[in-house]
Amino acid sequence: MMFANSYELIVYILNLFGIYEPINNIFKTLGIEYVLRIIIVLVEIAVLFVFALLTIMFLTWMERKVVAMVQARYGPMVTGPRGLLQPVMDGVKLIGKEDIIPAKADRWVFTLAPFLVFIPALLIFIPLPFGESLIISDLNVGLLYIIAISAVSPIAILLAGWASNNKYSLMGAMRAVAQDISYTIPLALSAIAIVLFTGSLSTVDIVSAQSGTWFGFIPKWFIFLQPLGFLLFLIASIAEMGRIPFDFQESEQELVAGFFTEYSGMKFAMFFLAEYAHLFSVSAIVVTLFLGGWSFPFLDLLPAGLVPLVSFGIFLVKTYAIIFFAMWLRDTVPRVRIDQLMNLGWKIMIPLALLNLLATGFLLTAGVF
Amino acid sequence: MAWISKNWTMFGIVKGLIVTMKHILRIGNRPTVTVQYPYQKMKVSPRYRGLHAVDENACIGCGICEVSCPNETIQIVKYKTRWYPQVNVGMCLFCGLCVDACPMNAMKMTGNYELADYTRESLVYGPDRLLFNKEV
Amino acid sequence: MKTEELLINMGPVHPSTHGVLRFKLIMDGEIIKKCDIVMGYLHRGTEKLGEMKTYLQFVPYTDRLDYISAFPNNYAYVKAVEELAGIEVPLRAEYIRVLTLELNRVVNHLVMLGSLLLDLGASTMIMYGFRERENALQLFEMLCGARMTFNYIRPGGVREDLPEGFMPKLNEFIKDMEYRIDDYEQLISGNEIFMMRMKNIGVLSAKEAISYGMTGPSLRGHGVNYDIRKVEPYSVYPDLDFRACVRNECDSFARYMVRIDEMRESLHILRQVVDSMPEGKPTSQAKYGIAPMTGAPTAVSTYFPRIFTPPPGEVYSRIEAPKGELGFYVVSDGTIKPYRIKIRSPSFCNLTAIPKMVEGLMIPDLIAAFGTIDVVLGDVDR
Repeated sequence: MMFANSYELIVYILNLFGIYEPINNIFKTLGIEYVLRIIIVLVEIAVLFVFALLTIMFLTWMERKVVAMVQARYGPMVTGPRGLLQPVMDGVKLIGKEDIIPAKADRWVFTLAPFLVFIPALLIFIPLPFGESLIISDLNVGLLYIIAISAVSPIAILLAGWASNNKYSLMGAMRAVAQDISYTIPLALSAIAIVLFTGSLSTVDIVSAQSGTWFGFIPKWFIFLQPLGFLLFLIASIAEMGRIPFDFQESEQELVAGFFTEYSGMKFAMFFLAEYAHLFSVSAIVVTLFLGGWSFPFLDLLPAGLVPLVSFGIFLVKTYAIIFFAMWLRDTVPRVRIDQLMNLGWKIMIPLALLNLLATGFLLTAGVF
Repeated sequence: MAWISKNWTMFGIVKGLIVTMKHILRIGNRPTVTVQYPYQKMKVSPRYRGLHAVDENACIGCGICEVSCPNETIQIVKYKTRWYPQVNVGMCLFCGLCVDACPMNAMKMTGNYELADYTRESLVYGPDRLLFNKEV
Repeated sequence: MKTEELLINMGPVHPSTHGVLRFKLIMDGEIIKKCDIVMGYLHRGTEKLGEMKTYLQFVPYTDRLDYISAFPNNYAYVKAVEELAGIEVPLRAEYIRVLTLELNRVVNHLVMLGSLLLDLGASTMIMYGFRERENALQLFEMLCGARMTFNYIRPGGVREDLPEGFMPKLNEFIKDMEYRIDDYEQLISGNEIFMMRMKNIGVLSAKEAISYGMTGPSLRGHGVNYDIRKVEPYSVYPDLDFRACVRNECDSFARYMVRIDEMRESLHILRQVVDSMPEGKPTSQAKYGIAPMTGAPTAVSTYFPRIFTPPPGEVYSRIEAPKGELGFYVVSDGTIKPYRIKIRSPSFCNLTAIPKMVEGLMIPDLIAAFGTIDVVLGDVDR
C-alpha cells in the first residue's frame, strides 16, 4: 500500500512493532505530544542528510573512476580497496589546509557564502520521491519549490564573488550568475510542459501519472511523449551545474579566475560538495519528470512489503544512469566559449522550449493524448 | 547561427561519445595501459642509458672519458692505487659520449634510473659506487 | 560613457601557455586590441655554449632545443656539419635517419593535438596521445637508450645499428597508429563544439603569413604549398613517394587538419622505408680527422670520428622539422670547435605571427589559435 510520505511509513512500522501507542501515550500524558512528531521528523531528516553526504562522497570517487576508464588508466587505486577511501582522504587533506581570509574581505559574508551555496542543494531533496512512500514531504507545489530553490544559488554566488574583494572574482561571479539565470528559463519552460500532462505540480502525482504501459511493454514515461523537452531539460541542467561543456568558470586556461579563487580549505570543499549534491539532485529531478521516477512496468507483481525497497533501488539505478551520462559527456567534448554559451541559451533554447510548450498544449487540446 | 541550424543534429558529438564508450568497455584493442609505479615497474631495454658502471679490470685510467664529456662531469681520481673515473650524477647529461669514447670498453651504462637523493654531495658517485668486477 | 583600455598580463606561469611565455594584452572589454609577447624565460645560451664544445660534443645540446622532437634537431645540426666537412654517409644510415625523423613527426603531432584539446577543455585526447607516444618512446629506447634526449644521429652516420626485434615492433606500431588516427578523427574533427571554437579563428592571409616567416604545417594550412622535403630535397626523400599536405582555408581548423593529414603521410613514408631498408654499415667507413675510435671490440661507432677539423667556411642547412623550417648556420675556422653556430628555430618565427592573428578576438580564441601554432619554448628561447 502506498503512504502519503515517509512519516506515515515510519508510524506504520512502529505500529507493527507495537511501540508507537505506548510512547504516544507517555507524551500525551505529559501534554507535549507534538514532540514525538518532531523527533520522528528529525530522524527522517538525519537519514536524508547522511544519505546525501554518502552519495556526494561516492560521486567524487565515481567521477574520477569514470574519467579514468575513458582515458585508459586506472584512477585512484591506492587509498582503500580500489580507491574507495579517496573522498575521505580528500576531506582530511582539505580540513588540514589553512583557512585564509583576505585582509579587506567582508568576513561574515565571506564565511557565509559557501553555506548558502550548499544548503539549497540539500533542500531540493525534500520533495523528491525516492521510492514508493519514501518522500520527506509531498508538497502540493513540489515542482515549483524545486525550481525556486535552484534559483537561490545565483545570490550565493554573487555573495561569494563580492566578499572576496577581488575584481576578477567579482567578474567571474557575474558571469556565473549570467550563465545560471539564462539557463534556468529553458529549464523551467521544459518542466512546465510536463505539468500540462499531469495537471498537478506534486512530484508524487507526476510519478504516478507515468505508471502503466502501452502495448504491454513500453512504459508510459514522459520521455517518449516529450523527447525535445527531455533534451532541453538535460542540456539546461548541465549548463546550470557548470560542468563541461559549459564550465568556463573552472577552466584554469581562461584568464579571469572563478569566483572561488580566494577560498581555501573547507570553504573551498563546500563549493565542490554543493556541485556534486546539485548533480545528484538534478539527475533525480530528470528521472522523476521524464523517466518515470521509481515506477517500472511489473512492479505491482511484487509483495507489498518489498515494494518500497525495490522502488528505491530502481530509482537509484536510473539516477546513476543520468549521472553517468553527464560524466561521459564531460570527458568527450571541449568547452563552449562564453558568448557562444549565451547565444545558445537565449537564441536557441528559449525559442525551442516555447515551441515545445506550444506544441504540447496544442496537441493536448486537440485530444491526441 | 546559420551554421548551427545546418548541424542541429549534433551528430559529431554522438560519434565522439561512441568512441569514448568503446574505451570504457575496452573493446577493440583499447586496454588500460598504465603501470602502477612504484608497485610495478617498467622494464628498460638493454641499451638504456642510466647510471654508469666501470669495469674494474679493464679501466686503465686514460682520461678519454673525462675529455669527451660535454659537461665536464667526469673526473679521474685515485682509488686503491689505481685511477678510476668519478661521475657527478647531478650534472651528468646521460648522453653516452663517454661510453662511446672508452678505448677499453670499460665504461658502461646500466638501467638504474632511480637516482634521487637528498643532498648534492651524495650525488657525486665515486669509484667505490661505480666499479664492478666481471669475474665475480 | 567613458571606457578605458585594460592591460592584462597572461604571465609566464599560466596553465595553458606551453612553457614559460608572457603575453601583455591590451583589452577593450573582452576584445584584444594589441598583444605583446615577452619571451626569453627559458634562454640557456645554447648558441654560445656551441663555441666551447667540439662538433660531436654539441650534439646532446641540440637535443634539448625542441625537446618534444629531438631527432630533427640532431639531424639538422649534423647535416650542416657534414656539408661543411664533406663527410659521406652510407645509405643504410640515411634510411635509419629518415625512419627516426618520420616517427618523430608522428609523435610530435600527437603532443600538439593533445595539448590543444587540453587547453580547450577535453582532457581525453592528451591521454590517448600520450598512450601512443609511450609506444613510440619504447621503440626509441630500444634503439638508442633514451626516451627524450636521443643523441643518436652523429656526423658520419648513426650511433648504432637497429637492434633485434625492432622491425616487428615498428610494424605493430604503424598498424596500431592507423586505426588510432581514425579514432581521433571521429572523436574530434566532427565535434560541433570543436568546430565552433576553431573555425574562422586566427585568420591570416597567405601573404601575411609568409611575410612573418611562418613555415611548416602552420603555413601549409594557409594554402601555401611549401615543404622543404619537396622544394630542396635532402637525404633519401627524392626516392620516397609522398605528398605535401596543404589546406586552403586560412583558419585554426585548417592548421589542425594539416597535422592529421601529415601524420598519415608519415606513416605512409614509414612503410616505404621499412620495406626498402638496404643492408650495410650504420656509420661511414672512411677515416676523418684525428683520434678515431679503433680497437673497441663491441663495434660501437668503430669508425666514428670523435674529433675532426672541417675546412674553414660557413654553411646554412635546413630541414623540415615537425614544427617548421629548422636551420643551422655553422661557421668553422679550421679548429676542432666551431666558431659560431646560429639556430633558426621554427617556433620563434611562427610565434611572431600571433599578435596579428589575435587582434579582435577574445582570450579563449587566443588560446585556441596559439595551440594550433604548436610552440615549444625550448625552441623559442634556445
